[in-house]
Amino acid sequence: MKKAGLVFLLITPAFLLFLLFVVVPVIQAGHYSVYRWKGLGPLEQFVGLGNFFRMFGEDIFLTALWNNLKVVILSLLLQLPVAFFFALLIGRKRFPGSMLFRGIYFFPYILAEIAIGIIWKFIYNPEFGLPTMIASFVSGGETKIALLGSTEHAFTAIFIVIFWKYIGFHMILYIAGLQNVPDELEEAAIIDGASKLQVVFHVIIPCMRNTIVISVFLSVVGAFNIFDVVWAMGQGGPVHSTETLVTYLYNFGFKRFAFGYGSAVAIVIFLICLVFNLFYQKYIVGESK
Amino acid sequence: MKFLLGFFIALIMFFPMYAVIICSVKTNGQVLSDPFGIPHPFDLTAFGLVLGKSGEFWGFLYNSIVIAVSTIVIVDLFAMAAGIALSRIRFKGRPLIYNFFIMGMLFPITVAVLPLYLQLRDLGLLGTQGGVILAEAAFGLPMAIFLFTGFFKDIPQELQDACQMDGGGMFTFFFKIVIPISRPVVATVSIITFIQSWNQFLFPLLVLDDSSKFTIPLGIMQFQGQFTTGWNQVMAFITISIIPMAAFYFSAQRYIVAGLTAGAVKG
Repeated sequence: MKKAGLVFLLITPAFLLFLLFVVVPVIQAGHYSVYRWKGLGPLEQFVGLGNFFRMFGEDIFLTALWNNLKVVILSLLLQLPVAFFFALLIGRKRFPGSMLFRGIYFFPYILAEIAIGIIWKFIYNPEFGLPTMIASFVSGGETKIALLGSTEHAFTAIFIVIFWKYIGFHMILYIAGLQNVPDELEEAAIIDGASKLQVVFHVIIPCMRNTIVISVFLSVVGAFNIFDVVWAMGQGGPVHSTETLVTYLYNFGFKRFAFGYGSAVAIVIFLICLVFNLFYQKYIVGESK
Repeated sequence: MKFLLGFFIALIMFFPMYAVIICSVKTNGQVLSDPFGIPHPFDLTAFGLVLGKSGEFWGFLYNSIVIAVSTIVIVDLFAMAAGIALSRIRFKGRPLIYNFFIMGMLFPITVAVLPLYLQLRDLGLLGTQGGVILAEAAFGLPMAIFLFTGFFKDIPQELQDACQMDGGGMFTFFFKIVIPISRPVVATVSIITFIQSWNQFLFPLLVLDDSSKFTIPLGIMQFQGQFTTGWNQVMAFITISIIPMAAFYFSAQRYIVAGLTAGAVKG
């Protein structure tokens, strides 16, 4: 068989599938985003950047965007450092039962988000849930706490779930990264009289730069795509206070058959990820090589 | 001290799982009055209702298995074929095609979801499991091609040359050498694809409308939405749906962890 024919035969199936269901839809999203369109009939109502202007004038969209940004900020400031701490705590070979503990910490990551959302909705239940139990115990009387029913606290409650679900994944990344820290280096630092904290900041963290770079990247991109957990816990409610970009896309694009507007929202998500990626490649990843 | 702290955190991490399992073996009355305590009486009615009643659960399970297995087969076959071409055969435009696929890892599924829905509608795949399978497989390809290509690149060129010297062509090389040694990377790709497919919610939500075609995640959502359903039944439903994943996880923890972090660490 000729080489060209062989290459064609091997690549075509993957190429076609990828083209048809990934590339073409992404390009179409860009195309639809400048129209007002219900998904049926010809694309006639060209609105230019109108969808984008409209979007940034909508309070709910801005809430959604802000919620995504809050997840990014909280993940970077809280979740990743705690995951790193977990990795140092249980990821070392000398820790008894290390594998079992890793298994327990990591387990939430492989569960369906939808199941997790429902489980936590149960835990947060205002009638009999954990917050109510704790509050009643502390106050000595019956105090009902409805975290998910409050526009003020619902998002925090959801963030706790996100924190719990994804922390194991980052911990595992860090544990893998810890293997790259030479034992001798650590021992030498200790002999030289470095404190534990100094060892962490001056030996371990610099050696794990690449792992941390990847973990931050996955965390940020992941944060802009949160959907299932929020959906299971309240579909963006109460009163749209927990809306994220993707639930917004679903609620205001898909459900209302506003395909032009929804595509514009998708393009915004895409641009955020793209810009972040380019910036990150240029200033962060490049330097670590 | 360290151990105690690790143990205490483990208890917190495990608490939600404990709550689900413990509530699935209670009466609904006890779930409401004492959700986190020890079950008394120990009651398996919820499991009976979930597993028996109209057989809905078995349908969801069957659908999830069909979709996951088909997706895994497509992703492995297509990505393996493409990976061989992209790593072992020199041809014009190879880096271009490779980057074309890899680019797919940059943007999330959600970006394409609305046009994808219309695409599936135009192809007559809306409401079919085929639509879910093809879409999931397409989005799984970039990572799989990345892993396969990377793995095949590391096979020494001498092996390939030796095959050619013996008169066998590319095909001998594939079947005698590449396929037998690629078991670990096939396992990695299959594990990643399985977990993504099994837990996938947004695609099936968009594509499937008839509950007889629902997967387990859609089934859970629907089941807890029926207001006649007691919490103990919801918990039993979730517990049973977790069992396949938990069994898979604890029997192959090492490979799963390696598989899920492989893409990240190598990237």
